[in-house]
Amino acid sequence: MTNTKNAVITGASRGLGLALARGLADDGWSLVIDARDGEALGAAAVSLPAGTKVIALPGDVTDPAHRAALARAAEDLGGPDLLVNNAGTLGASPLPAMADYPIGGLRDAFEVNVLAPLALTQLLLPALRRRGGAVLSITSDAAVEAYAGWGGYGAAKAALEQASNVLAAEESLVRVWWVDPGDLRTRMHQQAFPGEDISDRPRPEAVLHAFRKLISERLPAGRYRAAELMPAGARS
Amino acid sequence: MTAALDAADARVALEFTLPASREAHEPPEARGLPRDGVALLASRGGAGEISHHAFTDLPSLLLPGDLLVVNTSATLPAAVPLPGGFADHFSPPPRGLTDHLSPPPRGLTDHFSPPPRGLVTHFSTPRPDGDWLVELRAAGGAATVPYRGGSAGQRLELPGGAVLALDARFTARLWRARLSTAVVPYLLRHGEPIRYSYVRRPWPIEWYQTVFGTRPGSAEMPSASRPFSPEVVARLVARGVTFAPLTLHTGVSSLEGDEDPYPEPYDVPPATARLVNLTRRHGGRVIAVGTTVVRALETAARATGPSADRAPASRGVHASAGWTEHIVTPDTPLLAVDGLITGLHEPRSSHLRMLAAFAGLDLLSRCYEAAIDRGYLWHEFGDLHLLLP
Repeated sequence: MTNTKNAVITGASRGLGLALARGLADDGWSLVIDARDGEALGAAAVSLPAGTKVIALPGDVTDPAHRAALARAAEDLGGPDLLVNNAGTLGASPLPAMADYPIGGLRDAFEVNVLAPLALTQLLLPALRRRGGAVLSITSDAAVEAYAGWGGYGAAKAALEQASNVLAAEESLVRVWWVDPGDLRTRMHQQAFPGEDISDRPRPEAVLHAFRKLISERLPAGRYRAAELMPAGARS
Repeated sequence: MTAALDAADARVALEFTLPASREAHEPPEARGLPRDGVALLASRGGAGEISHHAFTDLPSLLLPGDLLVVNTSATLPAAVPLPGGFADHFSPPPRGLTDHLSPPPRGLTDHFSPPPRGLVTHFSTPRPDGDWLVELRAAGGAATVPYRGGSAGQRLELPGGAVLALDARFTARLWRARLSTAVVPYLLRHGEPIRYSYVRRPWPIEWYQTVFGTRPGSAEMPSASRPFSPEVVARLVARGVTFAPLTLHTGVSSLEGDEDPYPEPYDVPPATARLVNLTRRHGGRVIAVGTTVVRALETAARATGPSADRAPASRGVHASAGWTEHIVTPDTPLLAVDGLITGLHEPRSSHLRMLAAFAGLDLLSRCYEAAIDRGYLWHEFGDLHLLLP
């Protein structure tokens, strides 16, 4: 009888996704991870703690066949207990104003940031309900604040948040969380501030404690900021 | 999973006639009493004693360090009337258009009989795939009675344009069915509380909520916590009694059935599992508020599955969630729960077998004789029974 839990993490080749994959693997989770860049994904898989059971599937979350493969891989592990919708796109960089936002680019941002995570969630929901599982979607303060230039990304994240909010109201058997991790030293954040020094932002590993608490304590459904889940004195 | 009722004498001991005068026909508030103004029968298994109290005496019956585990499931307005009856009552389950006018298959005469007026659907329990277990009931005088009709493939028109498709029979009373929209938000908008004949008139859903109910999902009220008022909770806290929450969404009761409970979704969070284990380690007693809590905790004490904590196979309760099929009877040892606060239950019900696991058949029979003699009131708006070790 194994007590291992299984997580599906999208966009796990670098940044917050990789940090979460390492953190969960440290805690004994088995993982299904994906990313578009197969080489980076392979390197990420190899970098996980020795003994981690991991299935790494290169692909794009907007591809239905790829999403189906992720769901099958989760079943191969025994069934998903957690889906982390981490894969996302900033959209155009440098960030255009709403007045000039290319609608095609905005459509892509919604495909990746809203529709793909929802479609993957739908696919995994029956198994998540059966196992008392959870859906964790990564959002941003750009979803609720009016940051000039962040309108496309922010609008898509706002849509993801409201989809999560309603999902939480409809699914009494699955924990639904959406979490703002705060500004982190990641490639996406660098894209938002091209050419600027972002080395003052914390590394993604710095907020792992917050995600560990959320997941291991199975906190009630809702929106969280990683900062509010950190232990006192650990704010960086 | 069905535990056979192998002890024939157990059935006899739990057999009694419940006089109508012992049924609570309305909430205590409608009888001029406060919510916590019900009676409390206490029994002690070790001493074999029975004593009689007001529910507000509860703090003095418990000890500092005892843990009350409560169910946070809130009651859904889970009954939906069907004004339209069957949407496609006169067509068989879809088998292609050309079949539409062909004669019905032999043996399905029920399928073509007109639906009774005033059909009601009771939504009981969700299934992992999104189906729900539902019970069809027909108007029968003051309340409703089980309706044995219906057939697989039929579609029922519900208010607000929703359609309920009957998939297959699950038990004699329950169907697996799928609603065309999300069930919980639909019920919150269109449903009314489930009511059986002993409750003589409808009451608003607020009268079916408990002070602990925060997560809508139960078809019927987790009624053992109904008398808990904020004042009683505060006095328990001041006494040194602690509280811990869990969730079990309970389905329709087996009033007409003598049936075993079917699988129900439950959720024992990590902080609650820790408090249960800490309490017992220090000699405190874990008291379940309601039979739903017993089922959830005894399930969590046996949890080894994938959604359980990765704790070593140590004794104690493990945080876990999912569907439970565990049934507590005198033949299943209690691993996590020492005592129980519950209502007074129907003759022969599966709940009584659970109670016998706490009190033993002899003491339990004496409790119920005393309860009938002294005029205790049964059912969800009635009096309570505290079963201590």
